[in-house]
Amino acid sequence: MTAAPIPPTPAHVVRTRWLLGIGLVVMLALAVLALVTMNLPTWSRVQSGLERNLVPLLRGFVNPAWHVFELASRSMLETMFMAVIGTTIAGIIAFPLSFLAAGNLLGNARFALPGKGLLVGVRTFPEILLAIIFVAAAGPGPTAGIMAMGIHSIGFLGKIFSDVIEGIDAGPNEAIRAAGGNALHVFLFSVVPQVLPEFASSLLYRFEINLRAAAVLGLVGAGGIGLPLIQRLQFRRWDEVSMFLVVIVTFIIVVDTLSSSVRRRLV
Amino acid sequence: MSAHISFHDVEVTYPGGLKALKGVTLDVSRGEFVVIVGLSGAGKSTLIRTVNNLVVPSRGDVRIEGASVTQAKGADLRRMRSDIGMIFQTFNLVRRSSVLRNVLAGRLGDVHPLRGLLGLFPKADVAYAHDCLRRVGIPEKAFVRADALSGGQQQRVGIARALAQKPSIMLADEPVASLDPPTSHAVLRDLKRIAREEGLTTLVNLHFIDMAREYADRIIGMRDGLIVFDGTADEATDQAFEDIYGRPIDESKDLRGDS
Amino acid sequence: MAIPDPNTVPLRPGFASRMLNWSTWVVLVGLFVVSLQQTGFDVEALTSGSQDFVRFFRRLVPDWTALPQIWRPLLETLQIAYLATLMGTLLGLPLIFLASYNTTVNTPVMWVARSILTVLRSIPDLLYAAILAPILAPGPLPGVVALTIFTMAVLAKLASETVESIDPGPLEALRAVGAGRNRVIVYGVLPQIAATMTSFVLYIFEINVRASVVIGYVGAGGVGFLLLRYLNFFDWGGVAALIVVIFAVVLLIDLLSVWARSRLI
Repeated sequence: MTAAPIPPTPAHVVRTRWLLGIGLVVMLALAVLALVTMNLPTWSRVQSGLERNLVPLLRGFVNPAWHVFELASRSMLETMFMAVIGTTIAGIIAFPLSFLAAGNLLGNARFALPGKGLLVGVRTFPEILLAIIFVAAAGPGPTAGIMAMGIHSIGFLGKIFSDVIEGIDAGPNEAIRAAGGNALHVFLFSVVPQVLPEFASSLLYRFEINLRAAAVLGLVGAGGIGLPLIQRLQFRRWDEVSMFLVVIVTFIIVVDTLSSSVRRRLV
Repeated sequence: MSAHISFHDVEVTYPGGLKALKGVTLDVSRGEFVVIVGLSGAGKSTLIRTVNNLVVPSRGDVRIEGASVTQAKGADLRRMRSDIGMIFQTFNLVRRSSVLRNVLAGRLGDVHPLRGLLGLFPKADVAYAHDCLRRVGIPEKAFVRADALSGGQQQRVGIARALAQKPSIMLADEPVASLDPPTSHAVLRDLKRIAREEGLTTLVNLHFIDMAREYADRIIGMRDGLIVFDGTADEATDQAFEDIYGRPIDESKDLRGDS
Repeated sequence: MAIPDPNTVPLRPGFASRMLNWSTWVVLVGLFVVSLQQTGFDVEALTSGSQDFVRFFRRLVPDWTALPQIWRPLLETLQIAYLATLMGTLLGLPLIFLASYNTTVNTPVMWVARSILTVLRSIPDLLYAAILAPILAPGPLPGVVALTIFTMAVLAKLASETVESIDPGPLEALRAVGAGRNRVIVYGVLPQIAATMTSFVLYIFEINVRASVVIGYVGAGGVGFLLLRYLNFFDWGGVAALIVVIFAVVLLIDLLSVWARSRLI
C-alpha cells in the first residue's frame, strides 16, 4: 500500500494555528515582562527571610497553641454573626431590587438596564476597599465590616436573583393568565414559587463567601477574627496563628459542607 | 495453526454480583470474521472487552498468540492494546477535535511519549492518517470538527482511527446499532472489506440476524453469559437462532413489544 | 389508568417547601437576632451617625495630582493578578486531574488531592497574603504566591464538576488504542473542557485583580500599600483619586472578561 502525499492544510486551520501560537507567545512574553519589571526581592533576601521565618513558622504550625482556642472560636463566631447579618440584610434589599433588574418582568429588556447597571457598579467595587473606607468613616469594628459586606452582597445577589428571574419558565405565567389571573396573581403563584428555591440556594452560597470575607475584613480593622489574627501575625506568634488557622479552616469546611448538602436538596 | 485469540474459561462477575460471563472457552483463528449475536445482557460487550482488557476477567485467561492479555499491566498492556483496534456503538470520537486529530489518536500507542503529549506527530503518521481516511471513503473531511459529521461518517472515522493503529485484531462493539439500515450495511461492508484487505482477525457484536448471516464467516451465539451456538452462517438456521434468543424467530411477528 | 383518589394519595411536599416552614423560620430569625446582639450592630447609631458619615464622604474629592504616583503600583497590581492566574492555572490543572475520579491515578491519591484542595479553598485570599507577607519579605512576591495558591483552589472547585461530567466514551476509546493516562487526558479530556476552562480562568483573573488591589494593604504589593499610606496621612484627596482609578480599572477588566467569556460559549 503506497502512502499518497499529505493533502494541503486548509486556510482556516492554518489561521487558527497561527492565532493560537501567537496568543501563546504573547501570554508568555507578558509573563516574562511582568517578572522582570516587578520589584521582586533578590534571591538572597528571600533566602534570609525564609531562614529567619520558615523554621519558627513550621514549628509553630505543627504545635498549635491551645490557649488561644477559646479566643479564636469566639472571634470566629463573631465573624459568623457578621456574615449572617450582612447576608440577610443584603438578601432583603436585593430581593425587590432584582425584580427591577430582570428584563422579563418589566416588559422590555431595556428597562432593566439601569437596575443592572447599578448592580454592576456595586458589585465591581472590591469589598475590602469598601470596608477600608467604612472603617475610616465609622471607626473600626464589626459594623463597618457588616456594611461593606452587605452592600457588596446586594450587588452579587441582585445579579444572581435577576438571572434566576429571567430564567423562569413562562408557561405557568401564561396558564395563570389563561385562568383569569392578573399580574399580582402571576407574580405570587408563578414567579415566586419558581424563584424561591434558587434564591435560597444563592443566599446560602453567598453566606459561604461572606463567611470567608468576614474572616478577612478584620485584617483591615472591620471586626471578626481578622483583627486578633493580624496582631499575632505582626508579632510572628506562629503557634497562635496556626491555632487561628485551624479554627478558621475547620469552621469554614463545616459550614461549606452543611451548606452544600442543603443547597443540593433545594434546587 | 495456533489460535490468534483464545479464551480460557473466562468468567466475569461485576461488583454487585452480576455474572456477565459464566465460563467461556473459545479459539479464534487469524483472519476470521466472527459475528457475536445475542440479546442485550447476554455478555457480548463484556466478552469483546476482555480481549483488550477493558474488562478484567474475574477468572480465566484471554491470550493473544499465546501471550496473556489478562495478566498484562502498564506498558505491556498498552503495547498489546495498540495492536487491537476497537470501534464503538457511540463512536467515541472526541467531538470538538478535528477528524484528522481523532484518527491520529490511533497512533498514540506507538508514538514517542513526548511527541504524543505535544501533538507533534511525525509526517509519516500524518500521511498514514490521511490514507486511512481515504480508505474509509471520507478523505475530504479531515479538517472538519468530528461532531459535524453524520452518524455513518463518524463511525467511518472510528474505523479509520482503528486502522491507524496498524492492528492485527479488530473489535467492534455494536458498531451499527445507532445507524439506520442502509448506512449500517454500508459500514459493515466497509468493515468486512478492510478486514479482508488487511487480514484482520475481527470480532463484531451485532443485534440483527440478517446482518450476521450476510457478513459473518463464523457466528457465535451467546445467551446468559454462555456460548450456545458456534458455526458458519449456513449452519445458523432459524432454529439455532431460536436457541440464542429464546423465542421463535418469525418475520411475520413483530419483535417489539408483547406479541 | 384510574385517576388517583385525592383522599387516599397524600401530597408529599418537596424539600423546598418543607424547608420554608415554621420551624426553619424561627431558627433563622433567632440566629439573626443573636447575631445582632453579639456583634453590637447598632442600626440606630448608624442613622444618628449618618451626619458624620456624610461629612466624611464630602471630603472625598479626588486629588488628581496624585495620579503619577498611582500608575506604577497599579501596573504592579495587574502584573500580580496576571502572573498569579497564569501560574495558578498551570499548577492547578494537574492537581484537578488528580482529584477527579475519572482522571486520577488511584483512589488514595484522589482523596489526598481532594483534601488538599478542600483545605486550600477554605482560606480567603487576603489571609494567604497576610500570612506570606512577613515570611517572604513585603513586596509583590508574597502577593503572587498567595494568589497563585488561591487560584489553584478556586479553579479546582469550579473545574472539578466539569472534569467529572465529561463524556467517558472517547476516554475509553483512547485507552483501547493503548494510550497511557497522560495522553488520554491531553487528547480526550482537554478538548472537551477547553472552552469552559478558559471561561473559568478569565473569571478567576477578574477575582484576582480585585484581590491584588487590596493585598498591598497587608504588605503584599500593588496599590493597596498606597491606600494605606494615604489613609495614615489622612490624604483624603489621594484616597478618593485612588478609589476612582481602582473602580475604573476593575470595571474595565470585568467588562472585558464578560465579553471574552460570552465569545467562548
